[in-house]
Amino acid sequence: MADAAKPKKKGGILGVFKDIVYGMSSHEMTRHAVRTRASMEHLFILITMGDLLGVPILPPYYSLRLLPYVTPQIAGWKRRMLRERDVTDVLG
Amino acid sequence: MSLRHVFESQPDRRYVMFGGKGGLGKTTLSATSAFWLARQGKRVLLFSVDPQASLSDIFQRDIFGKGPVPIMENLWAQEVDADRRIKDYQEEIRKKILDMYGFEKVPEEIDNYIAAASAEPAMEESAIFDAVVDIIVQGDYDYYIYDLVPLGHALYYLSMAKVYDEWINKITKLRADMGQYDQVAATMRREETVQEDAILSELIYIKERINASSRILTDKARTAFFFVVVPEEMIILDTKKAAELFAKFDVPLSGYIVNRVLPPDLGAGTIPPYLRNRIAMQKKYLDEIKGTFGHEVLAYVPEMERDVTGLGMIERLARRLFEEGS
Repeated sequence: MADAAKPKKKGGILGVFKDIVYGMSSHEMTRHAVRTRASMEHLFILITMGDLLGVPILPPYYSLRLLPYVTPQIAGWKRRMLRERDVTDVLG
Repeated sequence: MSLRHVFESQPDRRYVMFGGKGGLGKTTLSATSAFWLARQGKRVLLFSVDPQASLSDIFQRDIFGKGPVPIMENLWAQEVDADRRIKDYQEEIRKKILDMYGFEKVPEEIDNYIAAASAEPAMEESAIFDAVVDIIVQGDYDYYIYDLVPLGHALYYLSMAKVYDEWINKITKLRADMGQYDQVAATMRREETVQEDAILSELIYIKERINASSRILTDKARTAFFFVVVPEEMIILDTKKAAELFAKFDVPLSGYIVNRVLPPDLGAGTIPPYLRNRIAMQKKYLDEIKGTFGHEVLAYVPEMERDVTGLGMIERLARRLFEEGS
């Protein structure tokens, strides 16, 4: 009986251990990956929807095809592209 | 080598185009070739994307924006209405946004962007070539004869297609990289794998469309591109220049057709000096054409005594061009 409970407990400890290791190492990497991904998203919208800022890059006929997918991001993206850099950039 | 010989010896070349400056007789030669091929039992679609298309004029009936219209047995003609196509396309995008997000109306900023996009000059060229891809991928005909817009537009589009293609490659790569970051973040958080990226699929679709449209102009196995030239100095110079540019973009040139050749018996007897000068001048330029394009000239098409409009005149010209030799 005690033998059966043992591995379970071990797994629990292992799980906690995994979470701690994740928190110490991977969490920062994940955050970095997510942030890089977000920057790339902005770059992507700039390239495809640059016309909205007056920067024509992708031919409009084709950028229109992509427009529906990025519609929700457009407002936030324009704000980000046009704003001055400030302290929140450091914190963000 | 004659035009007939090109069609008979290269049956795979099913995308036929006549290029040249405006007003040299591209539409006449397109219609005449289409007529002859249809008479040979081939199913032929003759189409134009030029907003000032002349197919309606040559067949003497209004076919603008009406899809493929039957002209005679085996021959259909189509004039694409590019403006309407752009409007329909914009409407399609608006509808997609409404459907995707359940909006009552398209947000103003987005709607302005859609409206403004149609004013871009590249919009029309893209829409035109996209329409051509649509027509050709359907594959219902043996021959597609493309009454080409003037040379400048075709060159502009080809150069644009090259730039677009490189751009799309870059954007597609960026999008694929973004997918990898998604994947990394998901794996680290021990989440399920991320959904397939709809944008990446769209990009791949766009890339294929752009490639398909430039391939139609440059496919060595299936495209036959003919230059129409007339015996006049400026036209000869322009054609030489255009031929070099087209060669740069790998457009397979199949030969030259010399149009508007004055009948030789015109010079017989006493004729006014004006006409004599014109004949002498034309002879000089015909010699120049022979010297420059030599054996690549497939036909010398005589100046007819009246406009080539209506099937009767087209048939007469087809007989001259394909049956009697030239």
